[in-house]
Amino acid sequence: MDSNEADATVLTTPAPARQVLESGARAAAKFTAGMALALLPLPLALADSYWLDIVVVTYLMAGLAGAWNIIGGFAGQFSLGHGVFFGIGAYTAAILFTDAGMSPWFGMPIGMVLATAVALLISWPTFRLRGPFFAIATMAFNQVAFVLVNYLDWPTNGPRGILIPFQAGLASMIFQQRWRYGVLTFLYLLLVTGIALLLRRSRLGYALLAVREDEEAARAAGIDVLGAKLRGMAISAALTAAGGTLFAMYLRFIDPPTVFSLPDIGVRFALLALIGGIGTLPGPVLGAALIVPVENFLRAHITTDWPGADLVVLGAVMVLAARFLRRGIAGALADGVRALGRRRQ
Amino acid sequence: MGQIVEVLVAGLLLGAVYGLVALGLNLVFGVVRVVNFAQGELVTLAMYATYWLYAHYGINAYLAVLLVVPALFVLGVLLHRLVLAPLQDEPMMQIFATFGLVILIQNLLLGITQGQALSIDWPFARTVIAFAGVNVNVARLVVFAALTAITVGLHLFLRDTMPGRAIRAVIQDRRAARAMGINVDRVLLLTVGAGAGLAGIAGALLAPIFTLSPAIGGNFILAAFAVVVLGGLGSLWGAYIGGLLVGVVEACAGFYIDPALRQAIWFAIFIAVLILRPAGLLGQVGAEEVGFRGQQ
Repeated sequence: MDSNEADATVLTTPAPARQVLESGARAAAKFTAGMALALLPLPLALADSYWLDIVVVTYLMAGLAGAWNIIGGFAGQFSLGHGVFFGIGAYTAAILFTDAGMSPWFGMPIGMVLATAVALLISWPTFRLRGPFFAIATMAFNQVAFVLVNYLDWPTNGPRGILIPFQAGLASMIFQQRWRYGVLTFLYLLLVTGIALLLRRSRLGYALLAVREDEEAARAAGIDVLGAKLRGMAISAALTAAGGTLFAMYLRFIDPPTVFSLPDIGVRFALLALIGGIGTLPGPVLGAALIVPVENFLRAHITTDWPGADLVVLGAVMVLAARFLRRGIAGALADGVRALGRRRQ
Repeated sequence: MGQIVEVLVAGLLLGAVYGLVALGLNLVFGVVRVVNFAQGELVTLAMYATYWLYAHYGINAYLAVLLVVPALFVLGVLLHRLVLAPLQDEPMMQIFATFGLVILIQNLLLGITQGQALSIDWPFARTVIAFAGVNVNVARLVVFAALTAITVGLHLFLRDTMPGRAIRAVIQDRRAARAMGINVDRVLLLTVGAGAGLAGIAGALLAPIFTLSPAIGGNFILAAFAVVVLGGLGSLWGAYIGGLLVGVVEACAGFYIDPALRQAIWFAIFIAVLILRPAGLLGQVGAEEVGFRGQQ
């Protein structure tokens, strides 16, 4: 983002390191400001359950897109199979809660561990594939998961899905007052974005960026390419599973078509990140903040006469964004700020 | 024994359906190096167009080919001009854009048809003939014959004609092809058009066989991906053999294991192939590792 400034200074004096790499304090301040801004809609929506639902789903989707962004954006590994990890998080917590009465607070970490294990198992062979091949393979895993979960009566209850009984309480992660879901999903978003920020500035984060830009060059520079990708995928999958648990406890009903839907789940995470700005920190949040409310509006007002209208718009947005907004809202904003700065000079 | 033969024949005929859908996908991939996720939706559009011609003008599905294929060709040309060509060097954005088209077209059709399933009631397509003791549906036999004829035709076209040589030159090395005076951009454009035209043939031939629903192309495309990956991306005969193999495996799995698991089984094969021999049975080794870079 600051590369132009940095380039300009290089011409006169050697650029101090902090101008190339944003200082920790500045990044933390931006993060705090951004998250405070993201929290703002929650109190505003308190009175209206329609808006409250939108805010909750937006936080959740922003967090999930942020989790996808770690491997899809930072590392450029275009996974369309994150529905698998999402499903593991959702189903693990739901099954343990309904069958064994275990609190989702324990179910969530178990799901995260399971999702990480599955992610490593899937990724180890598929990370050899590049570009569209990786995308197709991960999509195939999503479909296998769908067919299997749909087929198995135990423990996933097949196509009937799982209905989670209403037992309000903090321990059961089910609340009478819906704003508490808002707090919960906001904390999730905070966690994901915080981890993404730390990761982005860590050694692993730079390794992932290097892999995205040029795998051969990264390998030549001594980066353990497969190791970096696997670690990135593990973090991304674990966070996605946590989001899956929240989704299950919020909706209190999950079934295979909901959880493994490509346009609603697996591809959605990638789409939100793309619209907002793929590989950037605010991107997933911006993408979710734009798309989720618009979609809710379309679903509420147009879909009654015209089934699928919300998805028609979504599809068109995907095509147009891929064509004209490759760096997303975050990229467009950065370009705008830069253009303004240039004019001032 | 008779049972096995019947299952095998059913599998081959089903495989022909997948092979026919995979042909266009594979041609576009082989030449243009773009994975068009929306290829299945082109087939869906062709199926609906065939239905429409049948329902409103009483045109029979096989004659509809003459109208549907040119229409799809034009659609393919537009697709290349507006979406694929500008994203030539952006594999990620190609996935996004073509997947966006999948969602767009499926739901557009859902809105237009109001979710109603449609089918062409054509007695001929339901005719069954006994063939050495095995019952064979005529419409599916036509699909099989068409797949074979098109594959042979394309093979000869690519081998013996000047435009075919130009296409092969573009596959091998775009820069060198350009230096030889080949209009590479036109070759790419016409190839995507031809790929869409193949989707048109597939759609017209499949319309009398299947009940039309907006998501039907999505089912075909996943199978077609399995076919193409199994046979080898970009390999003509690979798609042919891969298609038949996937069909046979699906029929056998459906018959001997559990119909509900058919899809999971060919996905498992698909993933196993991706992992063990990503180039597929007849594909060029290394294509998947190079991805789409280094083609320019």
